Amino acid sequence: MSKSLTLKLAVNGASHELTVEPRVTLLDALREHLGFTGSKKGCDQGQCGACTVHVDGERVLACLTLAAQVEGRAVTTIEGLTPEGADLHPVQAAFLAQDAFQCGYCTPGQIMSAVACIKEGHAGSDAEIREYMSGNLCRCGAYPHIVAAVREAKEVMS
Amino acid sequence: MTTDILPAKVKRGDASDGGASLGSRLSRIDGPAKITGAARYALEHHLEGLCHAVIVQSTIGAGRIGVIDTTAADAAPGVLMVLTPDRIMPLKSATTWLDTPGPEGPYLALTNVINFMGQHIAAVVAETFEQATAAAALVKVYYEETDAIATYDDPRSGEGMALDHLAVSWGEAEAALAEAPVRIEATYRTPREYNVPIEPHGLVAQWSGDKLTVWEPSQWINGMSRTYAEWFGVPYENVRLVSPFIGGGFGSKAFALAHGAIAACAAKMLDRPVKLALTRPQTFTAFGGRPATRQTLKLGATEEGKLLSIVQTGANETSVDGVWGEPLASVTALMYATPHLAARQTVVPVNTVLPSALRAPGENPSAFGIECAIDELSYEVGIDPVAIRLRNYAEEDPHAKKPWSTRQLREAYEAGAKAFGWEKRKPEPRSMRDGHHLIGWGVAAGTYPVRRTAGEAMVGLFADGRAEVASSGIDMGQGTYTILAQTAADAIGLPVDQVEVKLGDSALPGAPVAGGSQLANLMTGAVHKAALAARDELIGLAISDPNSPFRALQANTLSVADGVISSPRGGEEVTIAELMRRLGRDKIEVLRDTLPETNNSAAEKHKTYTTITRMRSPTEGDYSLHAWCVHFIEVRVDEDFGTVRVSRVVSALDSGRLYNPKLAESQWKGGIIMGIGQALLEEGLVDRRKGRVINNNLGDYLIATNADIPDIEVISVGVPDFHASVLGGKAVGELGIVGVAPAIANAVYHATGKRIRDLPITLEKLID
Amino acid sequence: MRDFDYARPASLAEARRFAAEPGAMLLAGGTTLLDLAKCGVAAPVKVIDITHLEGLDAITFGAAGVHIGALAKMSHVAADAAIRENFPAVSEALWQAASAQLRNMATIGGNLLQRTRCAYFRDPLAFPACNKRDPGSGCAALGGITRNHAVLGTSKVCIATNPGDLAVVLSAFDAVVHLGERRIATDDFFLLPGMTPEREHALEPGEVITAVTIPASAAARRSTYLKVRDRQSYEFAAASAAVGMELEPDGKTIRDLRVALGGVATKPWRARDVEKALIGKPLEPEAVREASLLAMTGAAAQGDNHYKIDLAPRVVTRAIMKVGGLA
Repeated sequence: MSKSLTLKLAVNGASHELTVEPRVTLLDALREHLGFTGSKKGCDQGQCGACTVHVDGERVLACLTLAAQVEGRAVTTIEGLTPEGADLHPVQAAFLAQDAFQCGYCTPGQIMSAVACIKEGHAGSDAEIREYMSGNLCRCGAYPHIVAAVREAKEVMS
Repeated sequence: MTTDILPAKVKRGDASDGGASLGSRLSRIDGPAKITGAARYALEHHLEGLCHAVIVQSTIGAGRIGVIDTTAADAAPGVLMVLTPDRIMPLKSATTWLDTPGPEGPYLALTNVINFMGQHIAAVVAETFEQATAAAALVKVYYEETDAIATYDDPRSGEGMALDHLAVSWGEAEAALAEAPVRIEATYRTPREYNVPIEPHGLVAQWSGDKLTVWEPSQWINGMSRTYAEWFGVPYENVRLVSPFIGGGFGSKAFALAHGAIAACAAKMLDRPVKLALTRPQTFTAFGGRPATRQTLKLGATEEGKLLSIVQTGANETSVDGVWGEPLASVTALMYATPHLAARQTVVPVNTVLPSALRAPGENPSAFGIECAIDELSYEVGIDPVAIRLRNYAEEDPHAKKPWSTRQLREAYEAGAKAFGWEKRKPEPRSMRDGHHLIGWGVAAGTYPVRRTAGEAMVGLFADGRAEVASSGIDMGQGTYTILAQTAADAIGLPVDQVEVKLGDSALPGAPVAGGSQLANLMTGAVHKAALAARDELIGLAISDPNSPFRALQANTLSVADGVISSPRGGEEVTIAELMRRLGRDKIEVLRDTLPETNNSAAEKHKTYTTITRMRSPTEGDYSLHAWCVHFIEVRVDEDFGTVRVSRVVSALDSGRLYNPKLAESQWKGGIIMGIGQALLEEGLVDRRKGRVINNNLGDYLIATNADIPDIEVISVGVPDFHASVLGGKAVGELGIVGVAPAIANAVYHATGKRIRDLPITLEKLID
Repeated sequence: MRDFDYARPASLAEARRFAAEPGAMLLAGGTTLLDLAKCGVAAPVKVIDITHLEGLDAITFGAAGVHIGALAKMSHVAADAAIRENFPAVSEALWQAASAQLRNMATIGGNLLQRTRCAYFRDPLAFPACNKRDPGSGCAALGGITRNHAVLGTSKVCIATNPGDLAVVLSAFDAVVHLGERRIATDDFFLLPGMTPEREHALEPGEVITAVTIPASAAARRSTYLKVRDRQSYEFAAASAAVGMELEPDGKTIRDLRVALGGVATKPWRARDVEKALIGKPLEPEAVREASLLAMTGAAAQGDNHYKIDLAPRVVTRAIMKVGGLA
């Protein structure tokens, strides 16, 4: 590598050190270097939402974030949504119960987005859920079930 | 759950028979892995020494490569190899899915001859993904460009070649049309549409000696393994293809493609595992989606709306180096009773990647034509759109002249209309509005054939009382894992959570393509057969083994339920685990296939699982086998802006028996949602000068978002159809999309009085 | 992406110094820069990560209006209660842009600098001709697929649409872009392509957007942003309008009116002709419809985008009627 940075990233509550080029995105750092393959690469250009993770508690796209940018910030992926060994997060449980996915590839991004959507207060109505979950494309067409799952999880969480 | 032992002819696993499992709304058993991020998709296999390949695609639409200058790329940091047409290893030509020989000569995954824009012309392999990507941009290509014919609207593309095998006719269609008191004629067009699964195509390939392992999302493990084996001239058994999870396919992940060959070549040449992922833009030309289609329909009818004749001429784009026929008469020649019909079709070669299968190839654009045309006829003769469909209801297959096995289409119209409130519809266009919104209600029917191929499955019973089902069949979200667990649980007499299912690995018993909506039916049949055999073997041991508490009892006096074996005449009850312990058995393993007993050699099995030559047509036998549906759709069209939003969908569908209604409904809705996108958004925009699809990404090739989709009500009107399949199911996955686009177009007409015959129905078509 | 150096300046002064270096580019939200770097359009030699700079993300209200720090996230501004009360069009433009995730990343400063979605601009390998990317190389969009291209403010060398939503609102309400000490009106910040389409705004090398201020006004308090597009969400505008209105105490005479258009022009397009035609007139549907047509003065279609000339005035009309309480 011609240029490289040694970064300390806080992912899912643990500190990880890695040496990467500056151009490595958070998504590739997670998937290729740190083994957090739950965050998916669907487009790599900010157009599908499959790579959604939380940075300092807010949902962002890991494909348009440099790994270097999130040094000093808390990154949470689907693997860290609940502590190891804990029960499913209410959003995960609702996704399963409502069959809010088929192939499962957009699902971690949908779930991370849904958790944030509820926390932001954007799950007040079905119309609001639809709008605020529209940054996560699902080609299998699970949308109505995703809306139902978010609605259900919001009730459980409140 | 109780399952009686023998006779085997008793229907098993049917919820209505008292079986709690098959037919129940069990959540998908692969769900926990998918919602926690634990499910590993193909590109997530990290191997020691893994390197990364990135493809370079052509930037001209036709011509040849003069020179590829790789000097800069070769020298770039981390680069291990730059593959070009001159450097890639020639492979053997592989046979086709029809079991016919491939093109003559060696197969080169990279070639100097350019037939379409976005063709693979080089690949860079480097230590990291970033290095490979950066170096790929340094490959300089000098072309000798020739004129590309971008689309079939280019007059130079000509009329195309007739596809005689897609021609259908009966009666004297032209003459009957000429004499018909009512005649309508219209041309319907659908654009290029793309599969765009959210998981892009790609693979990890690794060689060990002359054995190749490929982790690649696959709708057809055995078919793709065959292609890899033939390309590299190694025995079929030497290829292992692993695909336990597939991030969507919709028809696009059934074949081994050039990028797979490139990765496998690179892995062999470097003797290192290679990961290759297509970029999202590259997926638009690495394989074809649904071709652009056009069809002209002429309907002749009585003044009462009774069809007298249908004449159809259709065409679809294909590539200059291959033929993909999108069967445009598949619904036209099936849906309605007409005494006369003639349909013929051509394919028009243009400079594009060879089109391929996208959800309901044929039926989808075919239904767009005939279901819009019958709607136009309904206005022409002044009859309600549902009524005219029932007036022309086909009581038997009008083409094959065979009875339907089951056709709950009349029930679908009735149930759907009732749930939708169709009787409140005002018939005149522009008669319903809400503020700025014109409201329209449209209806259209759809159908999809029942395709049948044999399969096989291994069912194991283990010492701990658990069972395992194993097959190379796949689950890309249809629910294969779940319904096979349900099938085995019922047949054996186990709680479903005691059944593990292994799928998507060529090391497992074989399965044909997960396409044509056939896999659920054929695999439940194979698993049912194997699971019954496993249970029979267990019972056989129970009554014969000296250590068994049931020794000397008659087989038909034992029952197995919830993992417990008991005799109804009293006596001991033991769990399967306990019985296995007493029998001293580690496992009972049974492999069964559903090939004809007279023709189930190893070679025949191989053909069955690796080609489509053993797929039986829906009209082979005494009946015509099809699934059916009707969609009732409400649209709201902004009168000023021309924007169309779907506000309500009620669909009634006949897929026969549902093995798991929860999952079947998801698939139906998924098809309907894809149909909404098709109707309103999806269109590959081809630059006429260069043949480039310029919207080759998810920001510009628009698929529906969550906000585009209303609640959708689906109603199952099917009944078990044991002519169609062992356990009574018909097609599910591809059915739902068929008829959605015409229902929306018909609703838009009802709302606005404007008949839009070319998809998608974008706003500029509705504002003048 | 080409390899680049990465620097995380400790201060604004350091950021400016880095930004003046040849090939250096500022990284804020990253949603444009990394996207274009992946497309091969942007090739920074050095990326200056300013996301860690403190104190540039505040939203502060004063009597004169609001001051929004350049690093404020789109989502935060959209959700701000005072913004929603005093500048509803700002909030509406923001929450209808991109997606929730992108709005959590993208900053107000970066939002003003987002580049066009012209498919030819974004595809340098297949379409080497682009005057915006490579001055003098030609324009591949001319004669190509132009459905999303501009009908207003075009030149013979560039017809790329400015993709902004927020910028349209800023233009309508006379917002000011702060480049440190230097201040510049939104309308002057964005440049017409003319013969130099590579120059999209008035930013000089080494300059950094530090804030945007929007003057308070009765029209801004009574404002809306109406966005029309093919897809319900997560898409750029086919045509959009930012409109603000103040009525005389009689409740029907228009005292102040602001109109700007998005999705149809090469820069955020203030429609002053529409404003002039209606100010002082009673708010009446027919007059509004008539006046809205003036928004298209000088419009020229480029093939597939003729519909925008029909569509945009209707969007303006609806937006005016909406803020006027008539739609």
